[in-house]
Amino acid sequence: MNAFGTNLFPNLNLEKETKRWNQLYKIMTEPKPEIVPTPRKTVWKKNKATLWYHPAKEKRHAIPVFLVYSLLNKAYILDIGEGSSVVGGLTERGYDVYLLDWGSPGLEDADISLENYIIDYLENALKRALRHSGAKEISLAGYCLGGTIAAILTSITELPIKNLSLAAVPIDFSIGIFPDKLLEALQKGQLGLDRFADSYGTIPSEIMYLIFRMVSPGIASSKINLFTRAHDEKYVEKWRRMDKWTKDSTSFAGAAFKQLFNDLYQENKLIKGELVIGGRKVDLKNINCPLFVFSCSRDTIILEKQSLPLMDLVSSKDKSYEVYEGGHVSLALTGVFAEVWDKWLSARSEEIGEVLV
Amino acid sequence: MSNEKTFDPFFGFNQLSEMWDKQVNGLLYNLANNEEFVRTAGFGLNSYSFYLERLRKNQEQIAALMNIPTKKDVANAAKLSIQTEEKIDILEEQIWKLQDTVSSITKENSGMFEEVVNIVMQMKNEFQKMSKEVAETQKMNADLQELRKEIERDLIEIRREKQKKEPEKKQDKELVLTGINK
Repeated sequence: MNAFGTNLFPNLNLEKETKRWNQLYKIMTEPKPEIVPTPRKTVWKKNKATLWYHPAKEKRHAIPVFLVYSLLNKAYILDIGEGSSVVGGLTERGYDVYLLDWGSPGLEDADISLENYIIDYLENALKRALRHSGAKEISLAGYCLGGTIAAILTSITELPIKNLSLAAVPIDFSIGIFPDKLLEALQKGQLGLDRFADSYGTIPSEIMYLIFRMVSPGIASSKINLFTRAHDEKYVEKWRRMDKWTKDSTSFAGAAFKQLFNDLYQENKLIKGELVIGGRKVDLKNINCPLFVFSCSRDTIILEKQSLPLMDLVSSKDKSYEVYEGGHVSLALTGVFAEVWDKWLSARSEEIGEVLV
Repeated sequence: MSNEKTFDPFFGFNQLSEMWDKQVNGLLYNLANNEEFVRTAGFGLNSYSFYLERLRKNQEQIAALMNIPTKKDVANAAKLSIQTEEKIDILEEQIWKLQDTVSSITKENSGMFEEVVNIVMQMKNEFQKMSKEVAETQKMNADLQELRKEIERDLIEIRREKQKKEPEKKQDKELVLTGINK
C-alpha cells in the first residue's frame, strides 16, 4: 500500500519531508544549542579576557600552540563542539592548546586601544602560556583580525615565537569588501567614525551585529539553505551552532574601534610600516619565524588580496601560502583548520618520539 | 533499485533564492556605492552621534540632580578593580623574576655544593691514601729502627769480641818482643 501523499507526488520522499519539518519545528521551539568546550582550565584572567588551556589527549609535540581569534567576534567559534572543534582537533593531534578569549568589553573598557589589546593582553597571555607550559618556544596562530594582531605582536615582541600561522588575515586595508565609494570616503576621512565611537564609549554588540549584517548581507540565503537541507541532522546541528555564534556578537572598545578605522582602514599604517604600538614601530620585516598564511576562496569578508602582501613583507625564509575552498569562517566552523594547520605545523613542532600521557 | 529521482520541493526554491540573493546583494552594493549614499550615511551618522551625546549628557545631569549613580559611575568603579588586577599582574611578574633568581641561585649553590662535595671526597681519598702511606712509612721506620738496633747490637758484639781479642794480640806482641816463645 502506498503511503499518504505518494499518489499526489509520486517521487516525494515522505520520510525525508517529515524529518525536514520536524527539524525546523525543533529549531523554532527549542533554545539555542549549548556549546560544550573541549576539556580546559583557566590559566590567567585579565578584565574580561581569559586564557584557556586545553591539554593534549596524548602529547606528541613539545611546542604548544596559542590561538588568537578576532576582536570582532567571540572566540568559541574555534571550539564549537565535538567533531567540528579546531581546539579539539589540535588536542587530538597531540598539541597543548592555549586559547585567548578576549571577552566582551563593557563601558569601563571604552579606553582599551589596540596597543592595550596587543601588549597588555596578548603579549602577557603569551608570557603566561610559555610559563605555564614550561616550553621554550610557542606556535602562534591568528584568525581574521586576530591574525593581524598576531602578526603585529610577532614583529615587535621578544618572546620566542617558533611558528606563525595566519588565517583569513587582513594586512592591506586599502582594499576591502566595502563599496568603493564608501571605502574612499573612509580613507579620505569623509566618513568619520570617531564621534560615533565616542558617543557610545564601547560599541554595543547590537551595533556590531548590524555592521556585520551590512558587510555580509544574505540572511535569506542562510535560512533557505537551512530549509533545503533541514532533513540532514548534521547540517542542522552545524547550522544551529553557526546561527548561535553569528547572533552572539561581541561589543567593541571605542578606542580600539577608532584606531582600527583611523590607523588601519584610513591610513593603512600597517602595510606602510608606520604603525606604532606601545612605542615600538611595527615593521613586518621583523617576522622571521616560519610562516603559514591561508585564505578561503569564497571569503566575502576578508579578500585574498588583503592577505597576500604579507608574504613579500616578512623576512621568513620558510613561508607558505595556501587557498582553501570555503567561506570566511567555514574552516573554523568545520574544524578543518586543525587538519590544515597540523599538516604544516607537525614537522615544525618538535615531535616527541614516545607518546606522553 | 529505482533510478528515478525523488522530488525535492526545495531544490528549485533554493536555486531561485540564490539568484535572487545575488541580485539583491548587487543592488544593495550599487546603492551604497555612490557619493549621495556616502554623504547621507555621513550625515546620518553625525546626527545620530550628536543626539546620542546629548541624550547621554542629559541623562548624566538628571542622574546627578537625583543623586543616583549612572552606568558611567559603575564603569568608573569597575575601572578601579581592573587597575588592581593590573597591579596584581605586575606583582605576579615580579614574583616570577624573584622565583627565577632564587632558582638560579639555588642552582648555582647546588653546583657549588656539588663541587665542594667532590673536593671533600677527593680529599678524603687523598687522606686515606696518605694515611696508608704514613702507616707504611711508620712500618718501614719501625723495621729500620729494628734493623738499626740489630746492627748496633751486632756492632757492640763485634766491638766486644774485638776488645777481647785485642789484649791477647797485645800479649802475643809483647812475647814476640821479649823473645819468649811459647
